[in-house]
Amino acid sequence: MTTPLTKPSLDDPRIAIPAASEWYEPAPTAQTERQAEFLNLRDGEMFVNMGPQHPSTHGVLRIIVKVNGEQVVDLDPVLGYLHRGVEKLCENADYHQAICYTDPLEYVASLFCEAAPTAAFEKLMDVEAPRRAQYIRVLTMELNRIASHTLFQGWMALDLGGITPILWSFIERDEIVDMLAALTGQKLLYNYYRIGGVNGDLNHEFMSRLGNWMSRAAAQIDSNLGLMNENEIFVRRTRGLGRLDAATALRMGVTGPNLRATGVPFDLRRDHPYLVYPELEFNVPTRDEGDSLARYMVRIDEIRESIRIIDQVLHEMPDGPVMAKLPRLIRPRPGRAFGAVEGPRGAYGVYAISDGTDQPFRMRIHDPSFVHLQLVGPLTRGNLIADTMAVMASLDPVMGGVDK
Amino acid sequence: MSGAQMVWSRMTPGGRALAVLLPLLSVGGAALTALLVVAAPFIGATIGANLPIVRFLAASVITFLITVPVAFLLIYMEMKIIALMNLRIGPDRIGPAGAVMSVVHGLKVLMKEDFTPPSVDVPVFTLAPVVVYLASFMTIMVIPFAPDLTSVGLEFGLLYFFAIGGLGVVGLMMAGWSSFNKYSLLGGIRAAAQAISYEIPLTLSVVGIIILTGTLSLPKIVEAQSGSLLDWFVFRQPLAAIIFFIAITAEANRTPFDNTEADQEIVAGFATEYSGMRFGFFFFAEYVNVFIVSALFAAVFLGGSNAPISLPFSPEIVVDLSGLGLLLPIAAGVAPVLGTLAIGLPIYAISARIKAWQAFLAGFLIFGALSTAAIGFWAWAMLPPVADLIWFLLKTFTLIFIFVWMRATLPRARIDQLMGFAWKWLLPASLLNLFVTAAAVLLTA
Repeated sequence: MTTPLTKPSLDDPRIAIPAASEWYEPAPTAQTERQAEFLNLRDGEMFVNMGPQHPSTHGVLRIIVKVNGEQVVDLDPVLGYLHRGVEKLCENADYHQAICYTDPLEYVASLFCEAAPTAAFEKLMDVEAPRRAQYIRVLTMELNRIASHTLFQGWMALDLGGITPILWSFIERDEIVDMLAALTGQKLLYNYYRIGGVNGDLNHEFMSRLGNWMSRAAAQIDSNLGLMNENEIFVRRTRGLGRLDAATALRMGVTGPNLRATGVPFDLRRDHPYLVYPELEFNVPTRDEGDSLARYMVRIDEIRESIRIIDQVLHEMPDGPVMAKLPRLIRPRPGRAFGAVEGPRGAYGVYAISDGTDQPFRMRIHDPSFVHLQLVGPLTRGNLIADTMAVMASLDPVMGGVDK
Repeated sequence: MSGAQMVWSRMTPGGRALAVLLPLLSVGGAALTALLVVAAPFIGATIGANLPIVRFLAASVITFLITVPVAFLLIYMEMKIIALMNLRIGPDRIGPAGAVMSVVHGLKVLMKEDFTPPSVDVPVFTLAPVVVYLASFMTIMVIPFAPDLTSVGLEFGLLYFFAIGGLGVVGLMMAGWSSFNKYSLLGGIRAAAQAISYEIPLTLSVVGIIILTGTLSLPKIVEAQSGSLLDWFVFRQPLAAIIFFIAITAEANRTPFDNTEADQEIVAGFATEYSGMRFGFFFFAEYVNVFIVSALFAAVFLGGSNAPISLPFSPEIVVDLSGLGLLLPIAAGVAPVLGTLAIGLPIYAISARIKAWQAFLAGFLIFGALSTAAIGFWAWAMLPPVADLIWFLLKTFTLIFIFVWMRATLPRARIDQLMGFAWKWLLPASLLNLFVTAAAVLLTA
């Protein structure tokens, strides 16, 4: 008998393969782990491959979900679609260029990606930015945090099926982005922080836009929230979902709002202070539930705290230079330094090793999104497919930072 | 080369088509006219003898045709209203305020490639959109737009509605199963589960009304609400109205119950593998469904074509034009010109900056609007079906607006919450409503 051109696939349910026929091929031995999983599917289970192009994965993430009907049995994020080798690129760039390379990692809050290497390099160089520059950094970072959190709020609603909050929250984000563009010249990747200061003092357009926005920010953000916080469907879909306890969170290395939602009041701004944060008054909002709703609410509270911080910064900002006196070519002494900032997604850190040349010998970037993404599996196991999106959205990973 | 050949070679393709078609059409038209004249008595006798069949055919064709503008209108409404609620501008390029945008969408869908993926079950895959569209078009036929303005005045119209409305889910299941796509499968199964769950409260909630009116015929249910405003079943059966509204939201797969095509979870659900006009049929059927369920709610609960308020005066505008004789067509021909001049000349005289064509265009438009309004008012006052139809469509489109509003506002409910809500709350509530109504009818009888 001639062999058929195409062998019927074993996972095609519509082709019945008679067991005794010569067509039948014994189950192939698994070559990879994924193939083994596929061959060992139990009755009623199937794999659903979501991404890298899927309407709801944040960026280019691929999730392989093993489902039993609607129920998620297992979930496996596949990373690397956005990998650019930023750490290696930084090793071949001088210290100023390295800051540019880290900029697009967390592209929704890129000032924090600049702040961490800047802090590390300043420790290597043993310089400190002038006080006015430090205040400017705090001001711009808190603005960027608000921009990131308002966007999170919109994405969260969009992943749950609501289409209006994302467009409303973009109004606030656009305003902040425009004012930062007036200050830095860029809308998304600001490239504003320098080793030993910032690139340029506050200008008139930034200040007038900021003043305009601050006069209505709190009320505007509160009114946008009404569409979600008072929505029965939204609250029912997020309350008690993806519950994370404090011990697990600490064991997994979770930081930021996701950790504070479990009741651990850990915030780098207060516990390992940097810049002028010790002089500012702010609360560290926490929640005890650790579910999706708590993660959402913590971020909303943080927006309010950030507005408070901006208010104090505007009142207390001193005059003076915004750049320390430094040589043109940065050539730190050999050594190691770790700089970390509290980003909108968690502790964002850079560990830099200098060998005395003008290029970092090694730069290790710690991104909170990468840590949080490993929670998606444990948190959604046993829930429904729709809950995967609610948990993913509440953890708020940004794939640029995950894949680096 | 002869003259005819030279002319032919210089003509554009469109010109050639016209040159062939025009003589054919004129000859054919003349032949058809002659045939009609000769066979007129016979045709008249045939129509007279088979009047129900002819009426049914005409009603079916009209019903089928009105689904298209209805869907276009709804799609435009949804695009524009959601855009305004999102603080966007929405469609604004094509037509006044972008009103023709949805027609262009329809043409685009028509011109796209009709792609059949290689591993689908071809007959089922092809038939699924047809079944879905057919189900929604067949349910329109029992909608009582006005007294005596129903395509098919079935005695069991309500029952027919639920039976045929449930048929659409078969189409969704067919699409989900035949697409050979896991998202489609999940979407199809979700559709089936949702429809089965919500059919029950949907049907049970109107049983109370059936007890009160003693009929399943939709025109008669509308007639039963013809008294004052308080005779509407939304006031006599408020619980049933709430249950019915929630159930039709789920039946029409609208937010917050649009789990069958939850794009954040299962991409496009059952329609994932469809493209071109096959997708267009699903899309159209969805919007026609929204219109149908709104119309049904308006008919069953909001008094259908009954006016909520009766005017304190009854305008009697009797226009007797028969005395004019031959002057009537002349007047009809001259009146627009005279009206345009009468309105356009003063506009032209107001300012030197207004050009003549602008003034006369404005005059023509204003005259058109005024005469349309006058004829409309006359029709509204003197022809009862027109007023009834206007009231019915007003109620229907108010409900459609509420559906669009909900879509702009609410997130999506999860599938288990959806099912739990149907079985744990809606079903007991509709049973309670049924028992209370039955007890009340028994006690008062």
